[in-house]
Amino acid sequence: MTEAPPVDWGWIQRQLDGVIADRLLEHLYLSFPPILLGLLVALPLGIASARWRPVYPPVLSGANMLYAIPSIALFYLLAPYTGLTPWTAIIPLALYTLAILVPNVVDGLNQVPDHVRQAAAAMGFGPLRRLLQVELPAAIPVVAAGLRVASVATISMVSVASVVGLGGLGQLILTEGFQRQFPTPIIAGILLSVLLAFLTDGALVLLQRWLTPWTRGRRAEAGRASRRARASSAPAREEEAVP
Amino acid sequence: MITFEDVTKRFPDGTVAVDHLDLEIPTGRTTVLVGPSGCGKTTSLRMINRMVELTSGTVAIDGDDVRTREPAVLRRSIGYVIQQAGLFPHRTVLDNIATVPFLLGWDKRKARERAGELMELVGLEPGQARRYPHQLSGGQQQRVGVARALAADPPVLLMDEPFSAVDPVVRASLQEELIRLQDELQKTIVFVTHDIEEAVKIGDAIAVFRPGGRLAQFDVPERLLAEPVDEFVEGFIGYDRGVRRLSFFPARTLSLRSDVVVDAGTSAEKARSVARDAAEPWLLVVDPDKRPLGWVSAETLEGAAGDRELGSLALVGYGHIFVVATDSLRAALDASVLSPAGRAIGVDTDGTVVGVVSQADLGAAIWSAGDAAVPVGGRD
Amino acid sequence: MNVVLWILEWFGRPEQWTGTSGIPARFLEHVLYSGLALLLSAAIAVPVGLVTGHTGRGGFLAATLANFARALPTIGVLMLVVLVLGIGLAPVMAALVALAVPPILVNTYEGVRGVDPQLRDAAEGMGMRGREVLLRLETPIALPLILVGLRTAAIQVVSTATIAAFVGLGGLGRFIVDGRARQDFPMILGGSLLVVLLALIVIVLFALLRRVLVARGLRRRAAAPI
Repeated sequence: MTEAPPVDWGWIQRQLDGVIADRLLEHLYLSFPPILLGLLVALPLGIASARWRPVYPPVLSGANMLYAIPSIALFYLLAPYTGLTPWTAIIPLALYTLAILVPNVVDGLNQVPDHVRQAAAAMGFGPLRRLLQVELPAAIPVVAAGLRVASVATISMVSVASVVGLGGLGQLILTEGFQRQFPTPIIAGILLSVLLAFLTDGALVLLQRWLTPWTRGRRAEAGRASRRARASSAPAREEEAVP
Repeated sequence: MITFEDVTKRFPDGTVAVDHLDLEIPTGRTTVLVGPSGCGKTTSLRMINRMVELTSGTVAIDGDDVRTREPAVLRRSIGYVIQQAGLFPHRTVLDNIATVPFLLGWDKRKARERAGELMELVGLEPGQARRYPHQLSGGQQQRVGVARALAADPPVLLMDEPFSAVDPVVRASLQEELIRLQDELQKTIVFVTHDIEEAVKIGDAIAVFRPGGRLAQFDVPERLLAEPVDEFVEGFIGYDRGVRRLSFFPARTLSLRSDVVVDAGTSAEKARSVARDAAEPWLLVVDPDKRPLGWVSAETLEGAAGDRELGSLALVGYGHIFVVATDSLRAALDASVLSPAGRAIGVDTDGTVVGVVSQADLGAAIWSAGDAAVPVGGRD
Repeated sequence: MNVVLWILEWFGRPEQWTGTSGIPARFLEHVLYSGLALLLSAAIAVPVGLVTGHTGRGGFLAATLANFARALPTIGVLMLVVLVLGIGLAPVMAALVALAVPPILVNTYEGVRGVDPQLRDAAEGMGMRGREVLLRLETPIALPLILVGLRTAAIQVVSTATIAAFVGLGGLGRFIVDGRARQDFPMILGGSLLVVLLALIVIVLFALLRRVLVARGLRRRAAAPI
């Protein structure tokens, strides 16, 4: 072993405004669009699956199937069509989030007890108004739990996109670190990626609490939902993986 | 015999679940522990098989302190039935029943053979052996639960609110099944329930617990209903205990009137004189096999042509009946209240009419039954 | 450009199907790396998950660990381990196992924890000892979730093993790395497609495993859409 300390603080200080900041910013640009896009696609898919039962199994199987495809392969297979643009990373990463988000949207919508749904109908709520004013608000804690898992997974997966040449913290790890046999950028890249994931997670928790003041003080449901999401560790209820 | 000697259970948080309990549970009988929730009845039951460890005192089975035996070995010698059966979802009905024999290391084939016998004993179809618990109804699951507890033929059976999760109709049939089984098997059954009706129906002896884990009264059901020791027990067993108590008096002590029973072929003329002689406003019309057809009132008879046969007149439906040899005074009273003529029809076990009894006659019989049950100095 | 024709042309080259750098050899290498890593991870994570689930201790730790593991960029972990420990099979295995253990561990733990307490009560009441409760009741009931954990881990391992080519190992990732070096685009695409194929085989395999291993009495309940 060499005498050099494992982490070169001097390098970090020099690059804080340089390559580290650049890569971190790229990482942000590659992480958040897929999460948002994934949510935008998962909501209608989930609403349709909750309303029309037969839609759900094929949608879920498809999402699970996509989730199983290694990201590096999907990036390369898409590259001939999208080139070296952010879309090469955004499209696959958004597709991955579906395996987590769609089941959570469905579970969230199904959380509304039947008597509440019937009471809403009896008071003259139409299907659309009921969805917007009763079912979706009730679904927020569960959807937020799914969004947290999806965000953390996406942020860590963006690093793989760097291999294809799209930038991000993975680039710091690969080019600055591995190719120069220099551990400091690798450690910095890993820690920044983890930090970004946890900060996003924390921000989502705050956002959820702000959106759903009624769940404060009784967080059991959201807790249970995230516990389940955690247990299935991203993709899927075991049962519908293959029809 | 299972004995509780000065048994106390105090949980780590300080709550006392059972407080200085002394109880002797007779061998070969059904003893019911009953009381409101939080009275320590389930804790007491679970101390017998050491699912709960007592804090002080002694629980002994036939004189052997349960704490001298390893819990697992002890439990394999005691049947255990819980609410909602607790069947293993990954095992077939047959293998669920054979659980304890498997644990005891029986040969697989012998264990399954035994499980098959038990299925028959508790009234399950052989075709259900290969099914899984989720394919059975609640009542069937509970039968499997009872069969599983009986599999290794344990002398003691602990039942913790076993029938409380099924609907009332199924519950009643399960209770009757248990009574039938117990007649045959003579196990020492300890049964926990919060339902005093159930306790009275199946118990040979009943222990009523009061909140705080103290025993309020331990008695045979007849005495418990007749002589509750205090207001708590009286309140717990409910206001209609007087009527329920009639369950313990046989209907065969009633004197039935057969002079008001007439054949369908009798003429109206003749029937009119029967009614007059008996001084009764209703006659019961029976067919040639002596099965009831319906009631005819004296009024109807007065208005009918003298030569008409009773069978051709408009009869009033005969309503409810009771079996003289096997039913209780309560069933007879029930039949009379529900009868359109205000009279109960007593039949033989083969369904042929023995006679009828009016509410007035029943009242006299109930009166004397009440006297008989209350010893000198009784409080009724 | 016609991507499909490119890939077909690449698969059609005769030299692809023979030798140590041919498709069959690379595929086998990939399967061996992944299989070994998965076996090692399962050997560690399943027993630990079963025991922690049975005793109920260490659950918070397992969950935190899994959360942290999901946030870790796998590529960084792999490269750091190789840079520190040197190139070779052992360091790569260490990285793969470290990534595969958390999902197996957490799913096993949650699977055992999720067993209805009433069933545990019934089992103990019939005289099952701790080990018997674990092996005869909790493990079979937790099995569907354990399989989910193994499948998640397997997919992650197959995916990360592809990146292992960047640190000098064989497997299907070689086609991607070598293709990049030679600017051979059809080679990169062909390699990627093979990785997709392997991932799909993993899914099918686990569906079959589930059919064989999970008791019929548990299957219907699990299949009911939630």
